[in-house]
Amino acid sequence: MNRVVVTGLGLVSSLALGREDTWAAMLAGRDGLGPLTRLDLPAEPAQIAGQVPLGPLRHQTLCGRMALLALEEALDGFQPGGDATRIGVFQGAGTSGLPVAEAYLMDRLAGRRGHAAEPAYQGPCTVTDALAHRLGAEGPRSTLMNACSSSLLALGQAWERLAAGELDLAVAGGAESLCRTTYAGFSCLKAVDPGKCRPFSRDRAGLNLGEGAAQLLLEPLDRALARGATIYAEVLGYGASMDAHHPTAPHPEGEGAARAMTMALRTGRTEAAEVDLVSAHGTATPANDGAECLAIRRALGPAADRVSVTSTKSQFGHTLGAAGAIGAAAAVLALRDQTVSPTLRLEEPDPACDLDCTPLAAKERTIRAALVNAFAFGGNNVSLALRRWEGA
Amino acid sequence: MSGALAITGLGLVLPCGDGLEAARASLASGAPCFEELPEALGRGRGAVCGSFNPAGIIPPMQLRRLDRTSRFAWVAAHQAFRDADLDPTSLGERIAVAVGTMSAGSEASEAFMRPYLQRGPEGASPLIFPNTVANAASGHLALAFGLKGPGATFVDRENATFAALDQAARWLRAGLADAALVLGADGLFPLLLDICRGARLLARHGDPEVGSGRGFLPGEGAQAFLLETADHAEARGIRPRALLSVLADRSAPGAELQGRAQALALAAARALGQDLPSRWIGGSNGLDRLDGLETRLATVHPDWPSPRFPKALWGEFGGSGGQLLAAALLEPSERVLVTAPASSGAQFAARLDGVSLER
Repeated sequence: MNRVVVTGLGLVSSLALGREDTWAAMLAGRDGLGPLTRLDLPAEPAQIAGQVPLGPLRHQTLCGRMALLALEEALDGFQPGGDATRIGVFQGAGTSGLPVAEAYLMDRLAGRRGHAAEPAYQGPCTVTDALAHRLGAEGPRSTLMNACSSSLLALGQAWERLAAGELDLAVAGGAESLCRTTYAGFSCLKAVDPGKCRPFSRDRAGLNLGEGAAQLLLEPLDRALARGATIYAEVLGYGASMDAHHPTAPHPEGEGAARAMTMALRTGRTEAAEVDLVSAHGTATPANDGAECLAIRRALGPAADRVSVTSTKSQFGHTLGAAGAIGAAAAVLALRDQTVSPTLRLEEPDPACDLDCTPLAAKERTIRAALVNAFAFGGNNVSLALRRWEGA
Repeated sequence: MSGALAITGLGLVLPCGDGLEAARASLASGAPCFEELPEALGRGRGAVCGSFNPAGIIPPMQLRRLDRTSRFAWVAAHQAFRDADLDPTSLGERIAVAVGTMSAGSEASEAFMRPYLQRGPEGASPLIFPNTVANAASGHLALAFGLKGPGATFVDRENATFAALDQAARWLRAGLADAALVLGADGLFPLLLDICRGARLLARHGDPEVGSGRGFLPGEGAQAFLLETADHAEARGIRPRALLSVLADRSAPGAELQGRAQALALAAARALGQDLPSRWIGGSNGLDRLDGLETRLATVHPDWPSPRFPKALWGEFGGSGGQLLAAALLEPSERVLVTAPASSGAQFAARLDGVSLER
């Protein structure tokens, strides 16, 4: 099996439109959550979201625009060459073109003809095709919709094919923009905190929604070394599982989530004792955070007592389909800089979340390996294992 | 993907009826299943699963929580496990689920948004919202059958089911699962048909004729395939319905017909190697952007048998890759080529060997 490394990273977030600015803001403990202005939903009790300061273009959804921006940053001037059939694109989506469909439905309900947007324009694989077009990629491409674990599984797919020697280069990630369906949906499930979310807190009251994109460039180690590429981190493997427990709620003891993490360690040939960081799903819903901490204990055993856990959602909100890739991006940068980004507003930890959840301020520490978690409706769990790059 | 995998179970919910016999009869007759759409779906024709009846398979309490796509998927999965003589609870954590769909989640999104837009938050239903995610069907299947292995839902337009098949095969080969339930599933709903009409994608007069370029007619249903490594099937003592020998994909960088046609031709060449197909199942549907790919392929391979186009009988939607695969399994044959053209860049071709309905 080939070793696979991250050689490019693009990040578009509610904190900044680029990787280093976003990361610096994260480490400084800045908050990407603010007043909801993207959507006019005055009757909703929650009016907070993590919004990216961009809008859609005439022929490009906001997801497509953010994904392409993130890809350009990930490429950082590198123009892939060689065999185009060995370049793959793997994307995870949550809502993707849903805002276009919502606008169409609103037109129709108002008695208007509706903007005859083709399903092709709305479809989430439009973003995948656009990224492939930019790269000139003729290899495999796929678009996953596993709700909130989509883009992390897309990273797993890319790793799988690169490790097997099928590809020379892959772009994997996801993009997500706010839309009415998810906003109203989580709200009617009483899963949205009317204030700012507080992952792992005793009084946590739900999530905030957010938007953003992350794209990661992955390559076999030997090719990355040969072209002198910047290496951010190594991708070790991934795990995936289903809870078979409830359509929306996680297994209360984190049984399925723990299996995904264990599988990630196994495919990544990594010991639990090497893991120093978990970039958690950490939604701040009452059901998730306690179950996730239990799952981390089940998967890591005694090593859980000295692991650092963090939730990017305290800074961006829950970016749904993009959340896994954004969590992975944060973990990659944490491995590079040996610093864990903070979980904001974690003033009073929940005793059920009895791990070091990195409250309030960033923390410098040794980070050898990291797990990234993303869990989803339908009980779809994914975990990705990463390792610090320390040179050949 | 290379190296054979066994398809040991088949489940079918199609506009021609549920189950293997209904599908065989439909394919043998060659009679299209199109009719006037029910009023709730708007004007026009399509292939609707009008006789679908999940009673006795889906418990009533669960039935009311499921969207149309998930209902189809549940019944097809039930059939596939029975056909494969596999009790899913016996393998639980070792069964993966991979779904290909174009509509899953969207039907519920429309059902959720209509009353919300009309009545505000009090119109929002917490019962419907969980079905607005595309992977709702896989979650329902996991719950129904106790499936705890890896799960993924793919939305790669017409080729979504082939993407699902590819991922399932990888999980099996990597030893992450012993069996995989692969599904193509789609249900018709008003908003998508309205958008397709507005975009002039639907055939407006008569049934679709492949190559006519007049548009496609929509269809719905679910097709389930139980996939196992050949070793696992043999150890269980189950004879495969077919071996999935090769699944090949190739992408065109852009959306232009020529590039996509070339990608499909390369995928087909990789699937077949030096061999000739004894049967050819194609995915043309009446839209130029799809039909042109297989028309070109047929022109450069006059020695291949003429393709059969199941979408001309059962309609088109994202899970339609499942229809192609199902059609390929319904007539015994030595070597079947399935080509799956798509309006997106990724083109797929599969080779099935030793197709047999006998057990």
